[in-house]
Amino acid sequence: MQKALLFVDKISTFVGHAFSFFIVALTLHVAWEVFSRYALDNPRAWAFDVMIYFYGTLFMMAGAYTLAKNGHVRGDVLYGFFRPRTQATIDLILYIVFFLPGVFALTYAGYFYAAESWAINEHSTITYEGPPLYPFKTVIPVAGAFLLMQGIVEILRCIICLRDGTWPSREADVEEVDVDKLKAELHVKDEDIQKLGEVIEKRDGRA
Amino acid sequence: MKIRKELWFGFSLMAVILSTILVLMPWGNFTDGHLGLLMLALIVVAIMLGYPTAFTLMGMGVFFAWLAYRSVNPDVAVAQVLDLMVQRTYGVMANDVLIAVPLFLFMGYLVERAQLIDRLFRSLHLAMARVPGSLAVATIVTCAIFATATGIVGAVVTLMGLLAFPAMLKAGYNIKVAAGSITAGGCLGILIPPSVLLIVYGATAGVSVVQLYAGAFFPGIMLASLYLGYVIVVAKLKPQLMPPLPESERRVPLPPFAQAQSQRGRHALTGLWRALAGGGAQKRTALAQLVISLLPALAIVALLGLTYRAATAPQLQEAAGLVQLGGLAETTGEQSTQSEGLIGTPEAEEESTGLQEPPAEEAEPAAQEEQAPAEEGAAGAAEEEPAAPAAAQEPQRQPAPTWFWVMLGIGVAVLLLIYWLWSWERLEIFKRLLSSFFPLALLILAVLGSIVFGLATPAEAAAVGAFGAFILTAIYRFIGNWQAVPAQGRSAGAVATRTLKDFLGIIKESSFLTARTSAMVCWLFVGSAIFSAAFALLGGQQLVEKWVLSLDMTPLQFMILAQVIIFLLGWPLEWTEIIIIFMPIFVPLLAHFDINPLFFGLIVALNLQTAFLSPPVAMAAFYLKGVSPPHVTLNAIFAGMLPFMGLQIIAMIILYTWPQLGLWLPSVMYAR
Repeated sequence: MQKALLFVDKISTFVGHAFSFFIVALTLHVAWEVFSRYALDNPRAWAFDVMIYFYGTLFMMAGAYTLAKNGHVRGDVLYGFFRPRTQATIDLILYIVFFLPGVFALTYAGYFYAAESWAINEHSTITYEGPPLYPFKTVIPVAGAFLLMQGIVEILRCIICLRDGTWPSREADVEEVDVDKLKAELHVKDEDIQKLGEVIEKRDGRA
Repeated sequence: MKIRKELWFGFSLMAVILSTILVLMPWGNFTDGHLGLLMLALIVVAIMLGYPTAFTLMGMGVFFAWLAYRSVNPDVAVAQVLDLMVQRTYGVMANDVLIAVPLFLFMGYLVERAQLIDRLFRSLHLAMARVPGSLAVATIVTCAIFATATGIVGAVVTLMGLLAFPAMLKAGYNIKVAAGSITAGGCLGILIPPSVLLIVYGATAGVSVVQLYAGAFFPGIMLASLYLGYVIVVAKLKPQLMPPLPESERRVPLPPFAQAQSQRGRHALTGLWRALAGGGAQKRTALAQLVISLLPALAIVALLGLTYRAATAPQLQEAAGLVQLGGLAETTGEQSTQSEGLIGTPEAEEESTGLQEPPAEEAEPAAQEEQAPAEEGAAGAAEEEPAAPAAAQEPQRQPAPTWFWVMLGIGVAVLLLIYWLWSWERLEIFKRLLSSFFPLALLILAVLGSIVFGLATPAEAAAVGAFGAFILTAIYRFIGNWQAVPAQGRSAGAVATRTLKDFLGIIKESSFLTARTSAMVCWLFVGSAIFSAAFALLGGQQLVEKWVLSLDMTPLQFMILAQVIIFLLGWPLEWTEIIIIFMPIFVPLLAHFDINPLFFGLIVALNLQTAFLSPPVAMAAFYLKGVSPPHVTLNAIFAGMLPFMGLQIIAMIILYTWPQLGLWLPSVMYAR
């Protein structure tokens, strides 16, 4: 069971990682466009559309990945103080009440939205003869489907947690604030912090 | 026991919200609008339960939108909800304001990983060594500039907690002062542009991000200088809290060449001249040092030259264009004069190398101008040179206005002061700042400048900034790797290979983090887009408006009420949630009270800063606690943050009293 959960995690993570390189592409694309406009006097009409495509695809496709890493923002006044079982109960109920209808509606509606776009061979109207829009609209149902799959995994996690009393494990990923790494970067060791504590103690004792 | 207290606090807050709503609801004549208000109250409670906010919003939005459509025509309600949902989502995907969010995040993650903060702090620490409370001052300046570039509060506070906190405690600083300056400084990045908060506000409230950036510039600098002023005053009044550094800590280690020369004379310029004239093996070193020494002069001359060109631009365009150009130039001038001694334009930093900056001397530029020594003549001539032929070729150029000559005088005076004080130590400090402070300051100013002057959209500037961060990171990593290898065994090839490996790792990490954080912010937008549509469909907005107008408040009362509500929401909610969910409710009300949404945004940005510093949920405190010794208690950190919170409130009052502080720059630049 746990293996199957982690396998879906891995799929979401792989997709998220793959699409996260869109930010590098976006950076290079826009930087080149700005250079090309000012230095080469050669702006490209489709640049803006492509910018939007990169950005929209990036964040939509990273939705499932973010969910797999528990990265969607939570109101953390109470949640952190609950016992795991209480957390799992709340999550389980709200996944069923909020998540499933919301994301299912998005995926379902997105499917027809994209299908219509394919049917009429829709192109962007921001500029004359804009690039095709249907691949971009297809992102909605695809991202929704991945998110739905990840959501079902999260529901199973809640059930496991209700049974065992502890949260099943997740795979590690890059942390925004990785204290150990930052310590290594600045060559600070735990003993240094310990020593600092003694310095303060001595000083406060004297004062 | 602590856990129970927190739970009690949270549950009682929920109970208060629910019971207020239940009591206030007119159950007799329940309309759709009341349903909207009920939805709003439920969302606060649901968010507090801790379920991911984006999906809470989405689920509730879908349900209540369905209710709203059903009350009109039950047959097509489902189809309408689905249409609404997908179109709102697509609206977020194609939003041309939010596109700057991932780009600025990416730039921040890259800069954070450039291993720059170490150099930055050490060089600023040396530069500020004689200021009272120098370590705290250096900490705030480092935090301000680093937080501005990265915008990641947690990382900045953790890094400074590892770097500056031990340094301050070892120097005998009071724990509270040290903790306060780190946590308060780390949060400055939220306000000082380019900040993600202002983009999110702009996208939600429909205010131009460009104008928000221009508007937040001076308030941000004001807040930073309030912090600095407070620290310096406290250090002066109570030196036992922040003892001055011992002589050994202040001394700047000089390289051998400078050391040899400094024994023959304190002044660096004359010494360099001597070394050059004397010839010998040291000629190249001396020349390099001389070039570095002349950089401030070049910067000021270039700035004055640009200003002159802009100020005297020929009257070719129609009148409007000219006004704009004049305004542009004036801004540059004002910026350079106003930010002296602060973090901002390059000249300010050159002065900080001058360390003692008696303002009185600046006040009499004319007197100084006459005593120009020989080396000044050269700089002055270079300055006149580009201007004179230009004037000859284009006779229709405008005569330079008076303020330009005043600026010229000030510029020359500043240059004189710099070179008069240009000792070997200061040259060394300047070199250090050159390798740490200026690149970062330049990156920020370039990004900000291109946005504010309209050369690029925020998204484009962010992309160029991220590209600049690429280069910055690569260079600093290379230098770091180069210095890590012992001198005899190093080869450029090996170091370059290692740097490339590091660099690819950094890009990978930063991309992943960017994807996750932007997914978090933007999915929140997807959720709230549906939610706010449902709120509007139910007519909740009209009800709120009717209620607020029935209270018959003055604009000041409304402003205070709004800010208090936002402040209170800052406890249970994060700033993203507050802005994305609640700003759509406040912003339409502003027109009734004749409040500029731009100005409101600036006040909100200041207000949300306090949320980061207000116990018991202040994130900054927990990050600092995570890297400090057990003797530093959370209560001490909270106590240290309180004075800075007070300063934030003072800043809000100042901004409210003198709105021009925030509105002047946008009004000059974009002539509204």
